[in-house]
Amino acid sequence: MLLKLSLSSLYARLVTVGMTVIAISFSLMLYMSVEKLRTSAYTSFTDTISQTDLIIGARASSVQLMLYSVFRIGNATNNITWESYLDVVNKEEVDWAVPISLGDSHKGFRVMGTNKDFFARYKYRGGQSINIDKGYLFEDLYDVVLGAGVAEKLGYDIDTPLIVAHGLQSFSEHDDQPFRVSGILEKTGTPVDNTVIVSLAAIEAIHVDWSTGAKIPGQETPIEEIRKMDLTPKNITAALIGVKSKLTIFNLQRWINEYPEEAMTAILPGAALQELWRVVGVVENLLLGISIVVIFTTLIGMTAIMFSSLSERRREMAIWRAMGASPRTVVGLLMLEAIFISVLSILLSVILLFFSLSILQPWIDYNYGILVNVEMLSLKDMYVFMTFIFASIIVSLLPAIRAYWFSINDGMTIKI
Amino acid sequence: MKKSIYYSLLMSAMMSVAAAEETRQVDKHEHGVGELNIAVEGSAINLEFMIPGADIVGFEYEAKSDSDIALVNTALSKFQDFENIFTLSSSGNCNLVDAEIDINQGDEHEDEHDHEDEHDHEDEHDHEDEHDHEDEHDHDEHEEEAHNEFVAHYSFTCGNVKEIDRIDFPYFTTFPNSGELEIQFVSEVGSTSFEVEGDKPFIDLKGKI
Repeated sequence: MLLKLSLSSLYARLVTVGMTVIAISFSLMLYMSVEKLRTSAYTSFTDTISQTDLIIGARASSVQLMLYSVFRIGNATNNITWESYLDVVNKEEVDWAVPISLGDSHKGFRVMGTNKDFFARYKYRGGQSINIDKGYLFEDLYDVVLGAGVAEKLGYDIDTPLIVAHGLQSFSEHDDQPFRVSGILEKTGTPVDNTVIVSLAAIEAIHVDWSTGAKIPGQETPIEEIRKMDLTPKNITAALIGVKSKLTIFNLQRWINEYPEEAMTAILPGAALQELWRVVGVVENLLLGISIVVIFTTLIGMTAIMFSSLSERRREMAIWRAMGASPRTVVGLLMLEAIFISVLSILLSVILLFFSLSILQPWIDYNYGILVNVEMLSLKDMYVFMTFIFASIIVSLLPAIRAYWFSINDGMTIKI
Repeated sequence: MKKSIYYSLLMSAMMSVAAAEETRQVDKHEHGVGELNIAVEGSAINLEFMIPGADIVGFEYEAKSDSDIALVNTALSKFQDFENIFTLSSSGNCNLVDAEIDINQGDEHEDEHDHEDEHDHEDEHDHEDEHDHEDEHDHDEHEEEAHNEFVAHYSFTCGNVKEIDRIDFPYFTTFPNSGELEIQFVSEVGSTSFEVEGDKPFIDLKGKI
């Protein structure tokens, strides 16, 4: 009876109640999407590299080394020499090592020089390997392997010719030595998708006639001659390293960090990611804080609307009283109303969230490489909902108490 | 003959210049920040602490006065009992198999370096003769700047290593001067890092071993 009464009362005020519900559900959706994005970003980040024990590069902060070697964000401060790399590889603790050379680009995508071991050793998402979707890994000096994203965005297929540009934002191109797509990788959801991969020898080959960032004028070594040259790299940007025993990682790390011949840094990828996350976490908490404030604001808005509707509803309440409702019942009705509004808002916000996420998910994945998991609500979300309902009951007490006094004072006749 | 002498002179000059550049590296050192590395594999768990002297005894110069030496010795004896420093969750059923506690002060530190890379050691010897004077000078400077550092290694074998879900650090109460601990952690699951301070003196290892 009470329920039906309250529902029909709400129905009678469809527009104001509807607007309140929409306002609240948008603020709840804002909170939930921030929360979803932040957990998804974290898993995407931590899933990017696994089973690599150490990453080495020139002396830099661990976060910086991590960002340029794995995420291809920013640039290396320096390269490390091939000799130093070999010194590290020859340490008995080292099980495997994959060199990486960065610095060139193709149409805005980073070009990475490495060897075939990269495809076997680079693991992501808890040990998944990179698989080849089409074609084969580089056989010839001028073969390239494309990440799924590069092939998709540039519309390249097997055998498409391409030219590598010198540097990242540059008009000088290595146009004398064209490449050919030999293979395209499966989508991984990692920065590998947006990388053009060539062999280390190819990186060396395209720089044969180059000295200190510019092409030596008039000098053009024929490709046949380059093919015969010794194309062992002179330096590399970074290297991924696996150790035989985890117990020796820190000894090796210290040895590399204190290596006297060259200033190098060795990092544990997971440790560096965690460090980065502590920095990002501040911004995250800020976003979360803002969305919680927004929820509070809408709660206050809901109270304000209930207050303002009270005066126009004095007649309605008088009728309730006439029908035998006690002042307490009036309070109960108002609180019930608040519960209805918040439950309705929660339902609407969940629908809105999943609707917008399923639309935006491919776009976020495409542009930012973050795979937002559109899955069921977490236990934490449930807690938030319960808290929200509880909070709305509390704030509805204020207008309810006012209504209580109104109904006691007014009785069945309204004195205005 | 003459030519070869020139060559060798030139070579040694070049190499010594290189050597001088190469060795001019100094470890980072930050008061109030101790480092801890934890590695887990199989049934073994290793912990190695590297804590600046200021965090333990309140000074960083080489202990020479009796009172300073006494302070250092008390600190070292506290490290001897690992439970003053950290405790592993008892469900891991871990037994200490090896512990090494040391303090690096001034010159000792340099010596240790040389030990580690033995092949370099010999190389350096060659040049030292030529550059004796300069080297000594360097050393003096080093000694003035030298920071002492407590180094402690603990190795455990555990009956149930996967059951370790938490490490507590009484370290912060044992040494009231201590600041934070920067922890690098690695196991077969992967690596991670923690920053621990006295107000929350433990790390949560659920799902990390």
